[in-house]
Amino acid sequence: MKNTIKVERAKKDMTQQDLAEKVQVSRQTINSIEAGKYVPSTVLALKIARVFETPLEEIFELEDGD
Amino acid sequence: MKTNSILNVPLLHPNWKKVGYLFFPLPVILVIGIAFLNPGMEHNESTQIIYGFWAIGFGILNLTRENVEDEMIKNFRQQAFQTGFFWLILGLATLMLINYLWFGRFTSELFTAYLVLFLLNAYIYGAFQYQKYLSSKSEN
Repeated sequence: MKNTIKVERAKKDMTQQDLAEKVQVSRQTINSIEAGKYVPSTVLALKIARVFETPLEEIFELEDGD
Repeated sequence: MKTNSILNVPLLHPNWKKVGYLFFPLPVILVIGIAFLNPGMEHNESTQIIYGFWAIGFGILNLTRENVEDEMIKNFRQQAFQTGFFWLILGLATLMLINYLWFGRFTSELFTAYLVLFLLNAYIYGAFQYQKYLSSKSEN
């Protein structure tokens, strides 16, 4: 699953640490999600979408292998 | 499921890691001390003491929470227990096969509860640390 978290962060001038604090996870977790190494739970994905005030499906997108 | 207390595993405070690490040098000192007091102690007995202490040490480390115990870490922990158990079974099966091919029997005095618990906890610890390493390998 690919995502646009890095782009959304840049739009809001937000660091990984800022986002991590807002959704109550570690910075490493945000980094892993951005790098596509970790797929977040529905709850965490919704929290991230809420921070960016963007619909979930605009941030996360399924890939062919998913 | 989330609120089912019987399935909940309480994790230790991160400070317990120090206690866990203490269990690694401790049996070596203990065995040397016992050997001085009781020179006739069997070699296998001292090995089992070391395995036992290391099993407890790894056990404590495996059940100690991280500073930020978020969903990714919980996920890694669950995977580590699954992977650790798989490696244990695979490793024991391999050892049994080797034992059979060399000595003509599957069982061996080598397979003690202390050794099995040590290996299981060591594999779980290794699998957990490996996942943490992979997740932090190419940080931005």
